[in-house]
Amino acid sequence: MPNINERPVCHRAEDLVTYLYGEASELDAKDFAIHLQQCEACRSEFGVFQQVHDSIGLWRNEALGSAFKPAVLPVESGGSTQFVRHEQKLPALAALREFFRVAPLWLRAATAFAALLLCAMVLLTASRSWNRTVDDDPKFTQQQFDEAVKKRVEEQTAKFNKQQTPPPVNDATIKEPTDNGARSQITVSRIQPKTSRPRGLSRQEREELAKDLRLIPRDEDELPFVLSDEPDQ
Amino acid sequence: METATNDEQMVERALSGDPEAFGEIVRRWERRIFALAFGMLGREEDARDATQETFLAAFRNLRGFRGEAKVSSWLHRIAVNQCITRQRRAKVRGETGLEDEAEKNAGVFALPLDVSPARTAEKIERSIAVRRAVGALPPDLRQVVVMKEFEELTFQQISEALELPLSTVKSRLYTALRQLQMRLQKFGE
Repeated sequence: MPNINERPVCHRAEDLVTYLYGEASELDAKDFAIHLQQCEACRSEFGVFQQVHDSIGLWRNEALGSAFKPAVLPVESGGSTQFVRHEQKLPALAALREFFRVAPLWLRAATAFAALLLCAMVLLTASRSWNRTVDDDPKFTQQQFDEAVKKRVEEQTAKFNKQQTPPPVNDATIKEPTDNGARSQITVSRIQPKTSRPRGLSRQEREELAKDLRLIPRDEDELPFVLSDEPDQ
Repeated sequence: METATNDEQMVERALSGDPEAFGEIVRRWERRIFALAFGMLGREEDARDATQETFLAAFRNLRGFRGEAKVSSWLHRIAVNQCITRQRRAKVRGETGLEDEAEKNAGVFALPLDVSPARTAEKIERSIAVRRAVGALPPDLRQVVVMKEFEELTFQQISEALELPLSTVKSRLYTALRQLQMRLQKFGE
């Protein structure tokens, strides 16, 4: 660094520090920048002051950490100073590191002890719950297992056979004399459960069915009108 | 988040028995007061103690705060007085050598591993030199430097906090920078 002690001080010393810390207005900053080009003393001082400023900044960052920023900045509002709280979001690890850096020794020791205790309790709880899960499972021998399977298979087989057996036919209903006669029988046969074995219709039943569907007229009156083959007279 | 209550109102609330009010003042100002104390004293432990003592003294003298000055100015004055008193006591006790050595070693461990030993040594030396240079400034110059460089206050805010004219703050900072440059000169050669 050049020695500036014997150099005459420019009358704009206050403007120099204002410009150095970036607090000059736009107009004043332009004006001082022009002055800086013309004034050797100010140019030299600006250079060395900048180095001093950087050195203090380095020391501050090393000592307080580069993350250091004042938490609360005063803001002028309506003649009274108010405060804007800036949320400073540190990563979890950095926050933890800062905590351990700032906290006194006894607090660090207590935190470490509490963390260890918590880990131990978590492990103990997990271990207990695992043992309980294992104990709760019923243990069967191979013989018991085979018997249970056999019993279950027999139950299922019996159930299946029961379903396959046709239910008894309600003969009384079929033989019951009604006005409709055969039609009643067909109605009964239609409402038989689906599980009963399908039975073919007898000839008589087929004819009755055809009559029901009016495919075959019951008597001569019901014959459809058919044109005579004979030519018109 | 903008707090609607200013410091003076918080002091009034504290005086009227609101237990949370003084805590809020501490939360607002502790980092700044710590930065100020660190800049004035140069040691973290001392700065922490001085910060604690500052708020303790402020709480004890809360009834003496008449509201003629701003709370920030009041707290800064208490903090500066605490720092000066501590330094005076430390000088009387002759506490320098061992703590400096401990701080030097702490600096080595704090630096990243990829920095060469020569560069590390240079940085530590410069850091110590800056700390000593700032510490050797007269208190009225030192507090302006610390408020500007550590608290990053504007000239206007420093002027209000110290209740000094704006031009006085700027001229003090200019003088302080010249003195620091002289003390740090050997590192540039």
